[in-house]
Amino acid sequence: MVKFTLNSEAVTSESPPDTPLLWVLREELQLIGTKFGCGIAQCGACTVHLDGSAARACVTPVTAVENRHVTTIEGLATPVGAALKSSWEAEQVPQCGYCQSGQIMQAATLLEGNPAPSDAEIVSHMNGHLCRCMAYPRIKRAIAAAGSELVQGEGSNE
Amino acid sequence: MNKPIAALSRRQFVVGAAGSSLVLGLGSALGGCQPDQATSDLVSQGGSASFSPVMWFKIDANGAITMNIVRAEMGQHVGTALAQVIADELGAAWEDVSIQHVDTDPKWGYMVTGGSWSVHTSFTQLSQAGAAGRIVLTEAGARMMGVAPEACRVEGSRVHSGSASVTFAEIIQAGAVSRSFSQEELDALPIKTPAERTIVGRDVPALDVPAKSDGTAQYGLDIHRPGMVYGIPLIPPTRYGAAVRGIDESAAESLPGYLGAVLIEDPTSTLQGWVVVAAETMPVALKAAQAVQVDWQPGETASVSEADLLAEGSRLARDPSSGTLVVDDGDVDAARATAATQLDATYRTATALHFTLEPQNAVVEFDDVGQCHIYAGNQWQSLILPLLAQVLDLPETNIIIHQQYLGGGYGRRLFGDQMIPAVLASRALGRPLKLIFDREADSRFDCARSPTVCTFAASFSEQGALTGVEHAAVAGWPTLSMAPGFMAPGVAGEGKFDGFSISGADHWYTMPAHRVRAVNNELAQKTFLPGWLRAVGSGWTGWGVESFMDEMAHEMGEDPVAFRLALLDGQGKNAGGEGSTVGGATRLRAVLKDVAERSGWGRALPANEGLGVAVCHGQERGMPTWIACVAHVAVVPETGEIAVKKLWQTIDVGTVVNPSGAMAQAEGAALWGLSLALHEGAEFELGQVKQRNLDTYKPLRMADVPELDIIFVDSDAFPSGLGEPPLIPVAPAIGNAVFAATGQRVRDLPIRLA
Repeated sequence: MVKFTLNSEAVTSESPPDTPLLWVLREELQLIGTKFGCGIAQCGACTVHLDGSAARACVTPVTAVENRHVTTIEGLATPVGAALKSSWEAEQVPQCGYCQSGQIMQAATLLEGNPAPSDAEIVSHMNGHLCRCMAYPRIKRAIAAAGSELVQGEGSNE
Repeated sequence: MNKPIAALSRRQFVVGAAGSSLVLGLGSALGGCQPDQATSDLVSQGGSASFSPVMWFKIDANGAITMNIVRAEMGQHVGTALAQVIADELGAAWEDVSIQHVDTDPKWGYMVTGGSWSVHTSFTQLSQAGAAGRIVLTEAGARMMGVAPEACRVEGSRVHSGSASVTFAEIIQAGAVSRSFSQEELDALPIKTPAERTIVGRDVPALDVPAKSDGTAQYGLDIHRPGMVYGIPLIPPTRYGAAVRGIDESAAESLPGYLGAVLIEDPTSTLQGWVVVAAETMPVALKAAQAVQVDWQPGETASVSEADLLAEGSRLARDPSSGTLVVDDGDVDAARATAATQLDATYRTATALHFTLEPQNAVVEFDDVGQCHIYAGNQWQSLILPLLAQVLDLPETNIIIHQQYLGGGYGRRLFGDQMIPAVLASRALGRPLKLIFDREADSRFDCARSPTVCTFAASFSEQGALTGVEHAAVAGWPTLSMAPGFMAPGVAGEGKFDGFSISGADHWYTMPAHRVRAVNNELAQKTFLPGWLRAVGSGWTGWGVESFMDEMAHEMGEDPVAFRLALLDGQGKNAGGEGSTVGGATRLRAVLKDVAERSGWGRALPANEGLGVAVCHGQERGMPTWIACVAHVAVVPETGEIAVKKLWQTIDVGTVVNPSGAMAQAEGAALWGLSLALHEGAEFELGQVKQRNLDTYKPLRMADVPELDIIFVDSDAFPSGLGEPPLIPVAPAIGNAVFAATGQRVRDLPIRLA
């Protein structure tokens, strides 16, 4: 039995401790936004936040998140998360959409620390994420747009 | 080529008020039903009556318009585009429109999503459906306002007469809607001219995007059913002929919730030697899949390698008696016999994988009345349902596929063969079951793009003029394995061929003599299930045709753009006809001129850089999408590393329904072309694909995306298809650019410089 915080709520997993977090989230707790792609941490579709950092749930045993904070796409309620979701719609990013939860979770960890990333910084941060539909140009554009939105939002508050 | 479209003759369009809603569709009036009878049946029985109505949309009493989408959503936003077509003719306010991807039911007619067909094949039919709805609503609205229908116009979900208007909702609430149309009347319906359209051609946001931007979009793998257990397939060492000699479950039996290993006995032999391991929970199913040991007798292809498949392809290409004639214009043999010079070349492509990011899966549940419910994303329900009916020995009508979003299709999900082990395992266990393929199993079970060999032989006269070209293309044929009814007859009246596997060879260049032979690689056919991978045959014939065009131009000392323009004269069979072929090769000529100008064709470039050009006509001669592409590459001589700096495309697809969605398809397909040209390649080893995950199979990532400069020709010609065509010219444009940069001719995909 593993206890952790999932999207700000205490949860308990009854799965064996070596079960990948991905399957605990998807099948035991039925949060389906986190996706299974490759199973070897090479595609990024399963990306979640573990204590605020991006982690690949397919290779993270559930025991490793004991007493820690896990955030999935469903719980990404930060201003950065909202800006990304809205720019994903504005830029019409998704095609099949299957990788997009992971792309957004990964992009969020970039914009949290750096809301005005350069083109090269976006590419370097996102290059581990496969988009099989190859919607890369719009993913890149949407990240930059979300960053601008955040920067402008801060400016207007001052 | 034959297109699997439902026959529409002998059907009647029926419109009627269904109590509190308007339903509109095609009803085939069987059993002597009069249209009015059909209408009332359709209303009273919710559309599942014996006459099989096909309904495209419904307007409820609140004015909400639900469009029923028969095509699969796999990233092309097809539902949005098709709804735009209906909504425009109907006069709907776009905000009132929602879409629903429907489950299988005979009433929908033939269900397939592929070939870049959806908009092209649905445009007229759905326009007529929308127009019929507009006429009915206009008549009813006119009666309510006490004016003549001719005095009314329809816009924004309202029927207007001068300053007065009634809303669709008010008309439905009044219940005054009843009218039927014969097919002849439907054909005569006024369809808007391009200038009158207000929703077609508009960048309305795709209706599937919000759910795909917040994690709520539901794919097959996301389905949960009460009491569901988990199955993981154990895949035999060969695609065909494998037999299970024994299953050792001893290491799995102590796992809590382990349910057993099910031997899959498929009466259709589509799958041979499969085992599904099942457990109450996913973690235990994963462990059991590792613990259960299966002893297989492999099939006869257990030692086949990629080299064997290519060697067989080369052998067949050289054998003039092999294959089926697809093009036979002029006298190629005479041109060869009298040739002053000749040019021969062989192009090959390696095995390629679909690698849909959502691995194969299906959730199956048998209900209390003997119906089998399957939850999965699928592109060709009408292909798999009859097969599943045989597998289960159930009537087709007792099997229902509940369509989900597809986590990538690209042609893989045209064949729903993953449903076979799912339904058999679920039935054997007597439990609802979710079957999940791990990534390695997905790759081994992929219906890969066949390795291919194309040979070309050109003849030139003493004056240096081109006198003939002979082309042979050898490949595994998807259609032969999965849908043999769609094989096409050869032009000489002999033999059949897979049209999908040779499309692109029947190009729009005017040739003095031209002969094309399509040949099946039987060794490939026996070793694996060749698949339809995005662009299918055009992916390899385009590589050969357009690379060889470049070689011929250089042989003749001509500029590759000028050489092509001269052959795109739009004469004879290349003059085009009606519909999307209007203009013929002159439209290809126009996009080629445009892309040459925009890319600065002919300009000087730094050392080790070059521009390459290629064109294509999309998926089929009868449904041409005219594209010209230029690639700018830079090669590092020391390492042979190839970087694509920029891709230009000019695309004439006729009418563009949704420009933003069209551009997304064009960018994605073009990058697929780049990925297949430089990054993706698999090989068969010991009868199976060797590269099974992203550690060895490496599609394009963000860092390798070049600058893209893609434009659409402003056209109101009949719409063609877009999901695949922009892929086709990219690889040959890159190969030709590599030649321009280095002088080295590349003839194999993926391209590797030694």
